[in-house]
Amino acid sequence: MTNGWIDIKNTDMMLIMGGNPAENHPCGFKWAVEAKIHRNAKTIVVDPRLTRTAANADMYVQIRAGADIAFLGGVIKYAIENNRIAKEYLVNYTNAAFIIKDGFALPEDGLFSGFDPEKQVYDKKTWNYEEGGDVAGKAVAATPAEKPAPPLAPGAAPPAPALPPNVAFDLSLQHPRCVYQLLKKQYERYTPEMVERITGIPQEQFLKAADLFTSVRKDGDMKKVATIIYAVGWTQHSFGTQIIRTAAMLQLLMGNVGRAGGGVNALRGHSNIQGATDLAGIFDILPGYLKMPNPADVDLATYIKRVTPTQSKPDPWESFNYWSNTSKFTVSLLKAFYGPAATKENDFAFNYLPKIDRNYSWVNIWNDMYEGKIKGIFAFGMNGVMIGPDSNKNIEALKKADWLVVCEIYADETSEFWRAPGITADDQKKINTTVYRLPGAGFAEKDGTFVNSARWLQWKNAALPPPGQARLDQEILATIYLKVRDLYKKEGGKFPDPVLNASFAYTTPYNPSLAEVAKELNGKALADLTDPKTNTTIKAGQQLPGFAWLKDDGTTACGNWIYSGSWTEAGAMMQRRGTEDPSGLGIYPNWGWSWPANRRVLYNRASCDLEGKPWDPSRRQVWWDEAKQSWMGVDVPDFKPDSPPKDHMGPFIMNPDGIGRLFVPLAGMADGPFPEFYEPIESPLANLLHPKQSNNPVVKKYKTDMDKYAPVGGDYNVICTTYRLTEHYHYWTKNNPMNVQLVPEPFVEVPAELADRMGIHGGEKIKVSSIRATYIAKAMVTRRIKPMKIDGKETFQIGIPIHWGFRGIAEDEGKTAKTLANQLTPTVIDPNAFTPEFKGFLVKIEKV
Amino acid sequence: MSSRAIEHFDDKARETFEHAGRTTVYGGELLRHPVYTRILHWTVALFFFLALFSGFGIYLPWLFRWFTPIFGGGQLSRIMHPYFGVAFVFFFALQALNWIQPMLWAPGDTRWLRNIKTIASGEEKMDPPDTGFFNAGQKAMFWEIVAGCIVYLITGIILWAGAKTFGRISVAISYVLHDISALIMLGGIFIHIYLSTIGEPGTFHSMIRGAVSEAWAWTFHPAWYKQVTGRDPVQACEEARRQMNAGSKS
Amino acid sequence: MADRKTLQAVMISGHTNPSPGFAMQRDLEVCKLVDTTTCIGCKACEVACVEWNDLPFTPTTFDNTYQTMPETGYHFWNLIKFNEHQNPDGTIQWLMRKDQCMHCADPGCLHACPADGAIVKYANGIVDFNQENCIGCGFCVSGCPFNIPRFNPSTKRVYKCTLCSDRVGEGLEPACIKACPTGCLKFGTKDDMKFIAEERAKQLRDNFGWQNAGVYDPQSVGGTHVIYVLHDATDPERYGNLPKDPQIPWSYTWWKWLFKPVLGTFALFGLLGVLAHHVTHGPRVPQPEPPKKDDNIGGAY
Repeated sequence: MTNGWIDIKNTDMMLIMGGNPAENHPCGFKWAVEAKIHRNAKTIVVDPRLTRTAANADMYVQIRAGADIAFLGGVIKYAIENNRIAKEYLVNYTNAAFIIKDGFALPEDGLFSGFDPEKQVYDKKTWNYEEGGDVAGKAVAATPAEKPAPPLAPGAAPPAPALPPNVAFDLSLQHPRCVYQLLKKQYERYTPEMVERITGIPQEQFLKAADLFTSVRKDGDMKKVATIIYAVGWTQHSFGTQIIRTAAMLQLLMGNVGRAGGGVNALRGHSNIQGATDLAGIFDILPGYLKMPNPADVDLATYIKRVTPTQSKPDPWESFNYWSNTSKFTVSLLKAFYGPAATKENDFAFNYLPKIDRNYSWVNIWNDMYEGKIKGIFAFGMNGVMIGPDSNKNIEALKKADWLVVCEIYADETSEFWRAPGITADDQKKINTTVYRLPGAGFAEKDGTFVNSARWLQWKNAALPPPGQARLDQEILATIYLKVRDLYKKEGGKFPDPVLNASFAYTTPYNPSLAEVAKELNGKALADLTDPKTNTTIKAGQQLPGFAWLKDDGTTACGNWIYSGSWTEAGAMMQRRGTEDPSGLGIYPNWGWSWPANRRVLYNRASCDLEGKPWDPSRRQVWWDEAKQSWMGVDVPDFKPDSPPKDHMGPFIMNPDGIGRLFVPLAGMADGPFPEFYEPIESPLANLLHPKQSNNPVVKKYKTDMDKYAPVGGDYNVICTTYRLTEHYHYWTKNNPMNVQLVPEPFVEVPAELADRMGIHGGEKIKVSSIRATYIAKAMVTRRIKPMKIDGKETFQIGIPIHWGFRGIAEDEGKTAKTLANQLTPTVIDPNAFTPEFKGFLVKIEKV
Repeated sequence: MSSRAIEHFDDKARETFEHAGRTTVYGGELLRHPVYTRILHWTVALFFFLALFSGFGIYLPWLFRWFTPIFGGGQLSRIMHPYFGVAFVFFFALQALNWIQPMLWAPGDTRWLRNIKTIASGEEKMDPPDTGFFNAGQKAMFWEIVAGCIVYLITGIILWAGAKTFGRISVAISYVLHDISALIMLGGIFIHIYLSTIGEPGTFHSMIRGAVSEAWAWTFHPAWYKQVTGRDPVQACEEARRQMNAGSKS
Repeated sequence: MADRKTLQAVMISGHTNPSPGFAMQRDLEVCKLVDTTTCIGCKACEVACVEWNDLPFTPTTFDNTYQTMPETGYHFWNLIKFNEHQNPDGTIQWLMRKDQCMHCADPGCLHACPADGAIVKYANGIVDFNQENCIGCGFCVSGCPFNIPRFNPSTKRVYKCTLCSDRVGEGLEPACIKACPTGCLKFGTKDDMKFIAEERAKQLRDNFGWQNAGVYDPQSVGGTHVIYVLHDATDPERYGNLPKDPQIPWSYTWWKWLFKPVLGTFALFGLLGVLAHHVTHGPRVPQPEPPKKDDNIGGAY
């Protein structure tokens, strides 16, 4: 979330789309209710189903699953045409005025400029800012011919194109190649008629929704704020990242980012998924969102040069470009990883870090395992078989693995994949995977932090000890690590150094306390440090007060730079329980600790106008204090504190261009600098904008014998989406009688019209088949999902909650068919975040 | 069941019960109620009072809840009451079959009822000559109980099964009808007990020993007397009076 | 309110004497406010109710609805009712209403109950069942216009929501209120809740286009200690059979409290009547009557 849970109460307008917070984040939804009650805030819910969130909305719009970009693109067009945009914000805080290189082409045929159809990738060199100064009023200058590249060293890769330091711009936004004009042109095609044909939302309703949402910016008035709230209903598409981009662009256009009650707010699906991401739960990042080295990064300097962005901005403006500190974050991380073994002389042990040579994302791990390339897997706190996509493929993959280690609190489907329905006793004899099941501890049995969607680190205490032989995760992991280290010590091995030299200086190495780990993440001084500006000193060994103190000379160690400040010499900031909220904005500065730097709303400089005065004085977050020559605030200013407004420093300090990006230059996105609507991989119709390029062009289908994809116009013509229920939590609570009592059995939500046509009655078992597998559950015949007219053709959507498998109370009692929702889903991923496409695939339904 | 079958059933029952008990009829007496009838009567009476008393505490708790300890408290009262009631209805049903013949309404009964004032006030010392085995008052009471039992049974089952089965409104209505039925029967029972004991001396014996004096018979049920003896009740009475007078003078 | 004295009984079922708590304390009545317009149907209140009261788990079956079970049970006192209401324009309104005892000011269950002390109404407005005294007749079920009391066939007792009288007596809010994540459930004095509810209804009318929004606090049962804010107060039935005009059957009102004693007295007049007959007219005896020995003595008077 750019903002935070509590901050939602400050909003005037909510667009909830691709998320169902009332059901999946009921505690957080409290703040949406607060906004309704205390600010008369309106809610628009756009969803394929009338969910419990929609039941609470002022306006519910039923959309075809996967058509989100068409809808949002239509709203962008509406906002521009009806002057529902924040002009001053747009010009000064976004790259609307930046000129894009000549040769850049919009995807009128479905492809941006630079597409390589063979490799299915883009050459992004035209996706860049034009070099030059203010071009306002001047004739459109053509991009100068590229200078001949300097001769390359033999064998070296050509240098990646870089952003120009001096960007060409036109503050009048009239230049035909300025981002604003390109954006306008890009979404000109997203007319209400087109939106209706693609999304199934009647024009009239679409216009009403667009009008309502953009009404906060009526006549450009900046007082009101709108927020956009989403969850995995957006991410789980083969163009998921681009949906979120569209939302971000809309919010930038309307000037809603950085402001209390605004922002683009991702609701994370687990209590600690934000923490998992922050600490590199993804293959391509290191803790703190540092990029993972690749084989070309032969030494630390090469790596730092590659991953550190350089300023790129219009000349009269400033850009903080905070990522210019990347080397400090990296070296401190290496010092935390390898301690004394990381020295200046050995490049701070940079060569110990693994280098990624290809995509190791979730789906690819299972695909590799299926192809026999991965021999074993540790599954801690995740049920890989259930998660899918294509659970059958995952089960087959596990059959081919040599070993599987599962740490869980219940006997789950992954550790018992060999008992999946359809596997006979004879089949079982042929499975040679050795399964180790370790008894883990439940969340209430552990202390430590949860990092919530609002980026708050909140310490929790263990409520009770783990039962029986169950052990804490860190005890299990440390025991394994120490055992492996012993083996390396004894037997050597190919490259024992990273394992032998890893810093593991915990008081109880076999069961490290999480408080020690948290302190390590915060970082400490390894030598006496002095800040010449304030003349303060930190003694060697002391906890660092924040990431501003990090050094790239090996005098600081920090396990995750964004957490620096969370456990200082003043104490455990993440354990604070102060309930003061002097501003009334729900900032609670003394409750827990929020990264970065205990800042609650990101980019909050953008909540002020150019002079540093808040757009809405009643929701004052930060402001420029002329007398003190400093930025002040009820929140921690997300800005260089002494940069006066006249310097025109961009409020988006993490971007090298300092502004909010309507246009994402260069390598930012794999599939285009502007979002374009593409059909899901399985869709009942070809893309109406460009039928020849129906799907996301850079998305690759998998090619194993198990990967099948339903074609347009085949037997599979019902759109299916999957989701969770309030009453259950993923695949655990099917083991808890209380939750099972609330919703006892799996079901499929079927529109009443479709059920009538097929003679299906509520409560009867039905069979849902995709081209890959079949799922059996009882039908919930409902009028909450209506038939839709997609391009004039009647189309049905159904929905399946994902919670049931083949182990659980109802399952073990033989009350269910023991099929898994994710047996239906296709193996295909978003090219930017590598998230599988669970929302919107094709099925057919039959009576059992 | 056809009426013939009912008769057959009753005949058989009477016969069976005759072996279980004894009815002694002395000289100057007539057999009024056989053993079967008497056993039924007292069984019905027993369950009537059990049901009545167990019902009191439920009927008007703030006034009558002191009845409930008799049955082991409120809970047991409530559990037993319907069973008492069902037993009452069941045994009364047998009695009804047993008595249905003599209880049939006759033309004389209407006249009897019209005349009730003179009879009840004692103006007429003897019942009208066409008063048979049962007089119209007894018949009215009988049919009231038959009707009452039907109401008890229907409303009682509704109350027993409760609102979940029959709906709250039918329970509420049954609640009232059950009460009304009980109130009427309660009023009737006072008259019944009075007349069968101190109100018309000699009657009680008919339900205890089964026999009544001839004088009782010609006084209160002259037509029955005539039917079973063949003698004229008025003449018999006058004859007795003469004998009595003669005896008292001697 | 945080005082046990709010649990003084002001009405007691089947009770002979006046209730001890009647007009004996000044504390305000409590009230639960359920704002159906912000209920998200999360069932946290259902779980909290089962947990706080240690109620056993009930096996349920999928029944084409999100609703946990068709109606509340003797061990499930708090149930969110889900209803898909079709508006005249064809759009669907998905309504969620937390169903539980309404704690009527004039409780039909208590009126119907024949067992002394089985149902009491406390000074704070809570209507509570005391199973010790319950005789299991089930009349309360018939007396209740909201279909709330539930008979347990194995214990032969009736159960329902207690409004957590055990918690409220200690100054805590009911468990459901504590668990509610959105603030759709509120707890406080009746006056305060009524005020908040009316404000919310006004807000819904003025700002959200619900012209018929209103507060459900039916006066036909004297008002309730659970009140609802409804999108459309003119049609409460759409929220899962919430009666528009809840009524206590007259069987338990004027029949029970007036006609029963009066007619009972009439029946006793039967006894008086026959005794009077005996006294005034004497018995009818078989004829001929034996000559009365004291005829002459009688004449001497």
